[in-house]
Amino acid sequence: MKEMQIVRQSGGALAFLAGVLAALVIGWWIFPQVLFSKQEQPIRFSHQVHVVGQDMACDDCHFYREDGSFAGLPTNEKCGECHEDVMGEDPAEEKYVTEYYQEGKEVPWLIYQYQPDNVYFSHNAHQQYDCTECHPNLADNDSPPPYYRNRISGYSKDTMKMWRCERCHAQNHVSNACYVCHK
Amino acid sequence: MGLDRRGFIHLIVGGAVGTLFTPIPWKFADDLSIWTQNWPWIPRLKHGEEARTATISKMCAAGCAVNIRTVGGRPVAAEGNPNNVLSQGGLCPLCAAGVQMMYSPSRLPGPMKRENDSFKQITWDEAAALLADKLNATVGKDGKLAMISGDESGTINEVLSGFAAALGATDYYLMPGDGQTSSRVWTGLMGGEGQIGFDLENADLTLFIGADALESWGPTVRNQKAFSASRPGGEKPKASYIYAGPVQTRTAAVSDAWVPVLPEGLASFTLGLCYFLVKNGASVDTRDFDSFKNLVMSHYTPDKVEKLVGLKPDTLQDLSRKLAQAKRPLVVVGSEFGQGGGQALQAAGAALNLLMGRLNQPGGMIAMPEAPKVVDAALDRKDLLAKDLVSYLMNMEKGRAATPDVLMVYEANPVYALPQSEAMAKALAKIPFKVSFSTYMDETAALCDLLLPTPHSLERFDDVYTPHGLGFSAWALAKPVSKPACDNLNSADFTLKLAKAMNIDLGFEDFESVLQAKAEQLGAMGGFFADEAAPWDVRSGAASAEAASDVWDGAQEGKAWCSVATVDQRALRLGAEVLAKAAQPSPDVSYPLSVSPTLQLNVGSQKVATPPQNLTTIRNTELRGKASFVQVCGQTAGKYGLSEGAMVKLTGPRGECAAKVHITERVMPGVVEAPLGFGHSAWDAYTRGKGDNTYKILSVTTEPGTGETVWTGSKVKIAKI
Repeated sequence: MKEMQIVRQSGGALAFLAGVLAALVIGWWIFPQVLFSKQEQPIRFSHQVHVVGQDMACDDCHFYREDGSFAGLPTNEKCGECHEDVMGEDPAEEKYVTEYYQEGKEVPWLIYQYQPDNVYFSHNAHQQYDCTECHPNLADNDSPPPYYRNRISGYSKDTMKMWRCERCHAQNHVSNACYVCHK
Repeated sequence: MGLDRRGFIHLIVGGAVGTLFTPIPWKFADDLSIWTQNWPWIPRLKHGEEARTATISKMCAAGCAVNIRTVGGRPVAAEGNPNNVLSQGGLCPLCAAGVQMMYSPSRLPGPMKRENDSFKQITWDEAAALLADKLNATVGKDGKLAMISGDESGTINEVLSGFAAALGATDYYLMPGDGQTSSRVWTGLMGGEGQIGFDLENADLTLFIGADALESWGPTVRNQKAFSASRPGGEKPKASYIYAGPVQTRTAAVSDAWVPVLPEGLASFTLGLCYFLVKNGASVDTRDFDSFKNLVMSHYTPDKVEKLVGLKPDTLQDLSRKLAQAKRPLVVVGSEFGQGGGQALQAAGAALNLLMGRLNQPGGMIAMPEAPKVVDAALDRKDLLAKDLVSYLMNMEKGRAATPDVLMVYEANPVYALPQSEAMAKALAKIPFKVSFSTYMDETAALCDLLLPTPHSLERFDDVYTPHGLGFSAWALAKPVSKPACDNLNSADFTLKLAKAMNIDLGFEDFESVLQAKAEQLGAMGGFFADEAAPWDVRSGAASAEAASDVWDGAQEGKAWCSVATVDQRALRLGAEVLAKAAQPSPDVSYPLSVSPTLQLNVGSQKVATPPQNLTTIRNTELRGKASFVQVCGQTAGKYGLSEGAMVKLTGPRGECAAKVHITERVMPGVVEAPLGFGHSAWDAYTRGKGDNTYKILSVTTEPGTGETVWTGSKVKIAKI
């Protein structure tokens, strides 16, 4: 009788531990994979070809406009300065020129650090920081990294959360009042 | 060892405990909260370069000069253009909402044709073929094609009227407005030349008779700018203003004095002022001055004017004294709501200005040259303004005029915005094939068989030449700020293309070329850009300006071409014989109250319904729930047993409408103030079914002597319901 009770107790502990272990595996390994859908950029854009091969500087494409606003990713107007017609033999370039530029369509680039409209972020106010403090360094990248989209929120996996903004503001003695970022 | 019930429970509990040490609950809650903030129907911002493009917004009748702020090429807001003299950095409430109206749910998506009770979208080629077929059947048969335009100041009238003329049609009409009545009086009844305007900026006393100039009459924003420039804050006013009319309008509210006068008595009131001037020796060098003098000295004595309009002789005399004492007095006459005022009032107002010696003087009434015509086949401006749409439709309704086979309507809403609108709508409905060029699904478009939407005012080439009331000649260009948000085609371009397909040569391939030719002709007239010097300063001699070298280039930069040229008069008359028959009101005991419609641009205009963003500017004494308000004074309310908020029915000879009552002393006894702009049956959910349409109770009478159709001072009876 007593033996059976011991067996039941150890069996119960084992089941409990099995449940914990299963939850940890699901939570730390499976859940992140299920939560994010993996997407590729519509055009395989090579920073390496442009930066290394063509000796272009970052701000040739990612520049501040005259009014101080940040242009972000270049539009057809900028890309078309060189890619009005197909220049090389890369199928990605041909796809861009024929399917987007010549059709008058902008490329729907996937923005790794996409912030929602209710966040007012001024690149100009953060000019003293290196781009790579917030953005991944893609300057030597030949093929853009996959984009992971959160299936619930719709945001990018790399979208900076508010706590990171607040931490940096606090460390640099900048106001964390709501209206600083939410107009 | 199997998993019994107890073991299963331990497993689940273990799983639950383990889950707490994973990101699942915390990440899930976080993402879910974000998800609830990002519903798919919430619009997303389009980021991009911010820019401003200068153009003209033609949401209002006069047109406002605007700088359209764009982000990434997408218009987001309208701002006033301080470098353009038409509105000098100001904006009317309609043009302020212009960008929002680009995305209105009532915009027509593209060309459509009627199929039973609905519309089917078709291609522009199909639409052109269908219209050409209908038009070919009318060629050379006068009376079989009619056109109505809602644009009084644009060169598009040359394209459309030239096309009509080439097809052998002469029935081309503008929607009614004071500019047309003024032209008929000045160039017809009075034998004058040119277009009449008013140099408000240089006047030191302005008497507005009827014209609600600071709210909706004429170039409203320019009027407001002239007013504010003469009343600098904290300084002595440079000019005085007096308003005479049945309602203390917003113009009256900021003027130095309000003189209550019945709407049907405004002409008599004006001639009563002429009496004092003539009595004091004023005269005008015209052939019929003696007849005019006899008329005012015998029929418009202070006692008689008191009997006609109920105004004390002392008030009239005091007013005439103020006019006599002013250095640069000016009288501006017009209907309270900008249409249907009759020729007698316009003639009396012109006579008063002439008696004061104010013709072509700084701060006076100015006769300005007409715009040069560039489409040879088009109607002359004078002939265009002489045509009376209301008279034409009434004759059609009564069978006195032939019903056309085809009607083309450009940017006008005659089904909604004409007096006795229900009768007018019936007359229009009889026309077998009706075409609308409206941008929106308005009441007229809803009645039409073919819809050919023209782009929104900010998406097309267009222009404005000297809107009625301006004191100097001006021309400004509207150019597209963005591509049309819908499959729309500029009506002028469509017409030129259709004309070409029908082997009609109007001399131009596209509308931009027409406007370029207009700029070239204006350049040949002299004139200057107003950014160099204000035209009123040039007129008064306080400034000078060099002649504009390239009008087209300057206009594209948002500058207004201006001229202070005046037209000398050769054979002016005062129209005394006609005035003797026309000016006096005739009482109608069946309908004891006079209607004074009020047009407020925040509520809408003849052609545009209330923009959604303007709904919050409408007071709860103007519209509450589904009911609009009419306003009466305490005396009138007491006489008819009306209480605040009571629901009433207003009945006129040709229609009726319902409204609630607001009692206010802003309205003179015997008058019902009724708002225009409510009671739409088309458009969108923001305007449809809100209030009642005052146009229904405006009844048309024929002015004795002139034959002009008149609907100011329309009579109604009022009853509680």
